[in-house]
Amino acid sequence: MEVMMLLVYDQPGVMQRVMGEFNRKRINVETIVVGKCEQKEKARIVLSIEDKEKCLSVIEHLRALQEVIEAEIVDHSRHEAYALLSSKEGICRVTGTVEQVDAIVSKSEPEKFVQTMNAI
Amino acid sequence: MKGAKAAVELLEEQGVQVMFGIPGGVLLPFYNELRDTKIRHILARHEQCAGHMADGYARVSRKPGVCVATSGPGATNLVTGVATAFMDSSPMVAITGQVATGVLGNDAFQEADSFSLMMPVTKHNFRVTDPAAFPETMRKAFMIATTGRFGPVHVDIPVDILNAEITDQQMAKEVKIPKPKRNLSGLLDAVKLLEKAERPTIMIGGGVTWSRAGSEIMRLAEMLMAPVVTTLMGKGSVPEDHPLVLGVCGMHGRQVANYALNNCDVLLAIGTRFSDRVTGKLSEFGSKTKVVHVDIDSSEIGKNVKGRVGLVGDAWTVVNALIAGLQMRKKSATWKDRIMELRKQCTCNYDLRSDPIKPQKVVYEMSKVLPQDAIVTTEVGQNQMWALHFYKCTGKRIFITSGGMGTMGFGFPAAIGAKVAKPECVVADIAGDGSLQMVSHEFATAVGNDIPVIVCLLNNGWLGMVKQWQKLFWDERYMATKFSGSPDFVKLAEAYGAEAIRVEKHSEVAEALGRAQRSKVPFLIDFVVDPEEDVLPMTPPGKTSKDWIKGRCQWKGEVC
Repeated sequence: MEVMMLLVYDQPGVMQRVMGEFNRKRINVETIVVGKCEQKEKARIVLSIEDKEKCLSVIEHLRALQEVIEAEIVDHSRHEAYALLSSKEGICRVTGTVEQVDAIVSKSEPEKFVQTMNAI
Repeated sequence: MKGAKAAVELLEEQGVQVMFGIPGGVLLPFYNELRDTKIRHILARHEQCAGHMADGYARVSRKPGVCVATSGPGATNLVTGVATAFMDSSPMVAITGQVATGVLGNDAFQEADSFSLMMPVTKHNFRVTDPAAFPETMRKAFMIATTGRFGPVHVDIPVDILNAEITDQQMAKEVKIPKPKRNLSGLLDAVKLLEKAERPTIMIGGGVTWSRAGSEIMRLAEMLMAPVVTTLMGKGSVPEDHPLVLGVCGMHGRQVANYALNNCDVLLAIGTRFSDRVTGKLSEFGSKTKVVHVDIDSSEIGKNVKGRVGLVGDAWTVVNALIAGLQMRKKSATWKDRIMELRKQCTCNYDLRSDPIKPQKVVYEMSKVLPQDAIVTTEVGQNQMWALHFYKCTGKRIFITSGGMGTMGFGFPAAIGAKVAKPECVVADIAGDGSLQMVSHEFATAVGNDIPVIVCLLNNGWLGMVKQWQKLFWDERYMATKFSGSPDFVKLAEAYGAEAIRVEKHSEVAEALGRAQRSKVPFLIDFVVDPEEDVLPMTPPGKTSKDWIKGRCQWKGEVC
């Protein structure tokens, strides 16, 4: 799995424009994290995509967007994961490396869960 | 001041002299202010054509073309015009009205989500929701359209923004956008490759036309003794009577150009995106060739042709850098001499004296009799390919066509826009009867605004290019390509107040063109041409030049 990190202007329509580039290139985005960041009026988007080739095919197009300030492919050593699990016992929050979170999620067999990748 | 007044002042500030559009309910405040300006407004009959007119204007004047449409259907109609400009990197500012912000998203009358509709077919687009940000948005729109790789920018303006109060302070706000990044780190590699090249060829595309790097390219070509081939979009950027210029390459290109493209050892590709119409089967293209790819848009490097030396920058700058770096080249004329020899076999100046008129004859005569500063536009299909192959862009001639999008109906409105930009030049549209019927209502615009363009209609009664493919690749199973019920085009043009004649004999072609050039009103020549004439030679889609269909072509050179 590859992770891309984008610094963008925090405006309506930015997600649509960014996702439009993935759509055009027929790339399925596995996970998305978007949030405010240390810079005012800007936001970070962290996306995961299965294939490195596909990352490379889209990154220059993302950089060409007016609302994208930076776009990079994040080194594997910086990949993180988190998950939110729900079962009879209640809600469980898991954070850690990708392997750790994968292991916990598959072992605990939750009723429902959502898992995503992150990086900084 | 009111938003509408601000809009007009901002357009004036950007040096806009003319705009093409159609008003509507939500644009009333804007059109009310437009009455009091010197900006010329040309009322089109369909928003798509307003877009093409702005596009044609931009391609001649090299300033952003401005087009305006109202909300809802106005905006959806405009999409084709904007998309056409986008595919050919033409600078444009497209303004659409929008329903008031208070009802946006509620399916108000004439509401369409034009912000989303325009997003994938623009370089960038804006929806103004805060009057305070309106002035900077308009300024940004013009800057983005004309910075780096040109392209259309769309601004969606809700009616309440046009009625809102805008302060002087908001008006005074200056804007900046990031400069396009240059990357010439591969320059040394490129110079080395070119110095060692035994059979170099230069391929140039629309980027060279926009960057006006033609004379620098010719200097470089002479230094390298390299033949120059152009793409459809590059046609006209270098003089086609120069011995090193071989003309247009690709599916319907000239065989000597395809030969030089397919047999070079180093290909210097400048301002081109390796369209499938040039490369044919992508996996076979340039498999033995080393490619240096120059483009202003970093996302083009490696998009279609991978693993090559890439230089990111505008054509003019990079070509000058290459010229400066290339002082050491040892000069061998073997390749050049071979190409020059082959070029003689690729003359194809068909002066075909037969009736019914062959379409090539019409284009041949146009090439011969039009002035050296004439502007020729084309529609899309066979007419476009005959123009590409047989019309010679020499002197200051300009060639305008919808290359990327292939929009039928582009040529006529684009010719109107071009004539507005350069009223002193002869402007002629090479049209087909299929294309013209998509936009023939624009005769009203041309007549009503005193824009005397010439329409050279190659009338064969078919959707000719589709018919040709049905003939060649689908066992002549013709479906939906033969027209019935087409109008009498002479009467049609005359009904609008244009002049028109029908020409059915090859001997009358030149005279008709002379008469059209002298006309003070829009002029249509209905050339009744042979419906069985195909555009050949041709490289079938997805194949290589080895599989070419020869037709009338006299090329005896080696198989490309």
